Amino acid sequence: MVIRGIAAILTAMMGSLRIRDVLRPAEVTFTWQGRPFRAPVGESLATALLEAGIRCLGEGPGAPRAAFCMAGSCQQCLVRVDGRPAQACLVPVRAGMAAEPA
Amino acid sequence: MSVACDIAVLGAGPAGMAAATEAARRGARVVLLDEYPAPGGQAHRAAPPGFRMPADSDRRAGDRLRHALALSGAELRLGHRVWDLAGGPPAQAGISRPFRIASLGPQGPAALEARALILCPGAQERIIPFPGWTLPGVIGLAAASILLKAQGVLPGRRAVVAGVGPLLLAVAARVMKAGAELAAVVDLAGPAEWQAALPALASRPDLLMRGLAWRARLASRSVAVLRAHRVLAAEGGRVLERVRVAPLSGGAPEEFDCDALCIGHGLVPATEAARCLGAAHCYAPRDGGWVPVLDKDGRSSVPLLYVAGDAGSLRGAAAAPASGRLAALAALADLGRLPPRRHARARLGPALAHAHAVRPGAAMAAMMALRPALLDGIAPETVVCRCEGVTRRDIEQAIGAGAREMNQLGRFTRCGTGPCQGRLCGEAAAELLAGRVGGRERAGFLTTHPPLRPVPIEMLLGEPAPADTAPVLAPA
Ligand code: FES
Repeated sequence: MVIRGIAAILTAMMGSLRIRDVLRPAEVTFTWQGRPFRAPVGESLATALLEAGIRCLGEGPGAPRAAFCMAGSCQQCLVRVDGRPAQACLVPVRAGMAAEPA
Repeated sequence: MSVACDIAVLGAGPAGMAAATEAARRGARVVLLDEYPAPGGQAHRAAPPGFRMPADSDRRAGDRLRHALALSGAELRLGHRVWDLAGGPPAQAGISRPFRIASLGPQGPAALEARALILCPGAQERIIPFPGWTLPGVIGLAAASILLKAQGVLPGRRAVVAGVGPLLLAVAARVMKAGAELAAVVDLAGPAEWQAALPALASRPDLLMRGLAWRARLASRSVAVLRAHRVLAAEGGRVLERVRVAPLSGGAPEEFDCDALCIGHGLVPATEAARCLGAAHCYAPRDGGWVPVLDKDGRSSVPLLYVAGDAGSLRGAAAAPASGRLAALAALADLGRLPPRRHARARLGPALAHAHAVRPGAAMAAMMALRPALLDGIAPETVVCRCEGVTRRDIEQAIGAGAREMNQLGRFTRCGTGPCQGRLCGEAAAELLAGRVGGRERAGFLTTHPPLRPVPIEMLLGEPAPADTAPVLAPA
């Protein structure tokens, strides 16, 4: 609880990565490795994780793996969404979605 | 169930939208397929439903194309990942065989048969690896542009924007406008190159003015704009912390702290679909690299197969719609739906528009042509192929051991054989090989085979129906 509070304060201090003059739909909750995060419904999972400060999406051969092309071609953003392999840059955030490293 | 149509168009970017619109308006049965849930492609990528981005000229151009498409009567298959292409007329025509297109859509697998096929898959970004390029925080310039334009999110709080081409300034300007700190802009092109490109750019005063406005904005914030510079390395523990930058001519490196590095070394036409269908290609660095051999209306070496937009030759989003329309008109003429005289008249407009729009596109393509000097920056232990963890040293060793062409290199090292199928590493690996075997033509390219993109096997097979299971014979 305390840790989460501190994390929230830190995030607020650092400011959101979401650009201000963009209108977005309502936020929903999804989870990454069981931890809850909020994002506007329809935002890409890769974007939502970036905003949440999560850049490593898994382990590649010998190095952490992170989204690179954001366009569905590099396959570096492979994760598991509700149990199925998915590309985080192509998957829109839905309420209750459970994501984890592939 | 397979559906039949006159013309299938692959890719709903500016070329594909315009091609489908033109053909459907003239009465053909047209199906347009794209992997994304909304038409637009990368240049005019639509924001997710419910998002409203501040309007800009790219968005407006995209909206015009989307609007015309919606009225044209073309059928849209969006959210469809095309994973196999087959059929098509045999090289010696006479008999007509339809193209067969297998895709995976929101409702599962789908099949389509088309008498003619127009490929508009666009281009992908080229990144020549450098130490640290796999660190989380390093992303492509095109990726940054998608984040900023289609997702409304900054790539980081303090960014270095590096590489070459029109996306460089565009991303830098957007990062700054959106309120992030811009640590530096690192341009591979030197002032002389920009000057050489100026006359061609001046034929599009709107683009030129926009470029100048961006530069003025950068100057007013006293952002370091380093011309003829390159990124030597990205550094950090588990994520990016700083980049090291130096002049191309050598000289003392500078360091910039940052949490995002947006970098791209130009664009490369996406040729896997055309190669899969056996179209002839040639290596033309000023068109982007390997490109299909096309006539001026986009006809490939395979009858009734056309390529339009950046996939045929990098000429930019402004030239793409005209190129799409030319290909659509050629397809209609070749299918006998447009008599020769009417075709000749109909193509004049788009041909003129295309001729006008290609000049700035060609100047940018020349600037984005692969720079072999960047290869020196790949350290022996730098990973080139991320999917399989293949380093430059592994590649050099395989070449030493006798790998002479890309597919051999793939078998020796697994480079390019992972899930991205060489989309990320192919250019660098091919260039490393080319340097040792005497050119890119000799090095060749990775053979494309289905699935063109990864698709889950259970999705393709579907739920097994009882009838699919062969009856078990009773032992005799
Ligand atoms: S980030 Fe490249 S495929 Fe998702």
